[in-house]
Amino acid sequence: MKRAMWILWPSFLVGGTAEMVFFTLLDPADLHVFGNPVELSRTAIYTLGFFLFWLFTAASSALTCYLLQTSNESTGESTGQ
Amino acid sequence: MASPVPLKVVKDIEQPASEAPLYEIRQKIYPRAVSGWFAHWRLGLVVATQLLFYGLPWLTWNARPAVLFDLASRKFYILGMVLWPQDFIFLAGLLVISALSLFLFTAVGGRLFCGYACPQTVYTEIFLWIERKIEGDRARRMRLDGAALDADKLLRKTVKHLLWLCVGLWTGITFVGYFTPIRTLLGEVISLSPGPWETFWMLFYGFATYGNAGWMREQVCKYMCPYARFQSAMFDPDTLIITYDAQRGEPRGSRARSTDYKAKGLGACVDCGICVQVCPTGIDIRRGLQYECIGCAACVDGCNQVMDKMGYPRGLIRYSTQNALKQDWTSSQMAARVFRPRVLVYIGLLLLIVTVWSTALALRSPLKVDVIRDRAALMRETREGKIENVYRLQIMNTDEQAHRYVIKASGLNDMRVTPFAPVSVAGATTQSVVVTLEVDPARNKPGSHSILFQVEDMDQPATRAIEKSRFIIK
Repeated sequence: MKRAMWILWPSFLVGGTAEMVFFTLLDPADLHVFGNPVELSRTAIYTLGFFLFWLFTAASSALTCYLLQTSNESTGESTGQ
Repeated sequence: MASPVPLKVVKDIEQPASEAPLYEIRQKIYPRAVSGWFAHWRLGLVVATQLLFYGLPWLTWNARPAVLFDLASRKFYILGMVLWPQDFIFLAGLLVISALSLFLFTAVGGRLFCGYACPQTVYTEIFLWIERKIEGDRARRMRLDGAALDADKLLRKTVKHLLWLCVGLWTGITFVGYFTPIRTLLGEVISLSPGPWETFWMLFYGFATYGNAGWMREQVCKYMCPYARFQSAMFDPDTLIITYDAQRGEPRGSRARSTDYKAKGLGACVDCGICVQVCPTGIDIRRGLQYECIGCAACVDGCNQVMDKMGYPRGLIRYSTQNALKQDWTSSQMAARVFRPRVLVYIGLLLLIVTVWSTALALRSPLKVDVIRDRAALMRETREGKIENVYRLQIMNTDEQAHRYVIKASGLNDMRVTPFAPVSVAGATTQSVVVTLEVDPARNKPGSHSILFQVEDMDQPATRAIEKSRFIIK
């Protein structure tokens, strides 16, 4: 449970910030995927964009969590928790 | 025949401390209700912040919502202002101002934000209030959770969760109401026809509120909140914290009201445990400053009530500073330390940024222009032997009224601008205008020339925008 919070929450905050900066600079209506304009409403692109950012930031957090855990286990050190 | 190997069953070897489980098991906390000076302050702030949050989307201004973040058309309406993506810097500035204010409050007053105004605290208070109304006080709630499931328990739990979900849903609707006009939204919700994305965000935000305030509660502060961790950087020995006066309180122990505790060698703490029972994060403040303490002062209120009952002076648990406690300062000595260098630096920075930010906002031009050269052709020769360059001007009128603009150009001899007539742009819209510039090659040198476009408001000539571009003559 705590691990899920550690992964999902910071990535939510950073994903939200990334979303804000990205879509302030770029208008979703101007987006092209493989050369084709995206045929979705702005609201839809904002929502999908946010979850895409969150997915990537969460993947990064999860990887950090995983590496922390294995390094502690492999060296047999106390986690200090 | 070999004799059987003697086997002895041994109990599991105890795990060494280094392999103890990484996560402690969460014990559910049942905060006891408390009343008093600080509880009233918190209640006041709950009401004030929520009146603002739930009420703001309903306010109207110029026949439109007073506050509307219209993401679909990329415009933010805030009272009399219309902000465009180009004005993002003001939003960033506002965030910097909020962060600096938080630093200032934290340096002076400790976790004031956490204890009184943080949405996590505010919604937990609201959800706890519902819980108390349905399930009763602390002791009854604990009994109810320990009891077997019967009709009464099922009913109480169902009603509680339904009410929580209603508050969550209303919060979700209000949240989306900042992005879609709330009257339209509510009409759609009642007729069960909101858009798919709006439905999604209402449910997402609603469930997040329900989960955070109903289930997660203090865990959000303890494990999820980054501010809780980095605030120590803003703390110093003169920051207000909730403290237990151990010198006065120890040795603690129970006694009758009539006992002369000093004669018995006891301190003022009667060890009633109220301060632990009222704590929303379940800590014992008597163990000293802990990072879990959100500074809500519920233990201060709780202890003061007990002190009143015992006829002892209040303030065994109180707001104080580390220095004041160590050196036995009076409150005026403590107040004298408020304006220390760190605080003065925060105040100075804050004043500076607020001044720059509000000046820039006040002087913000209601007209913005972008010039894009026509990509198809660099230049064109007309039948009369003149040279023509074509541009696309994006004229953004950020004012709410319509305006007429005159387009002029300078930088070369005898430039002719088409269109010559003023261009009318409706309120809070962008208009794209194709502009043709024409020069006589006999009167200008060949090459690439720097030119200036000037777009001027016909009715208010002070409002103008000047943009650079290039003119090419072969």
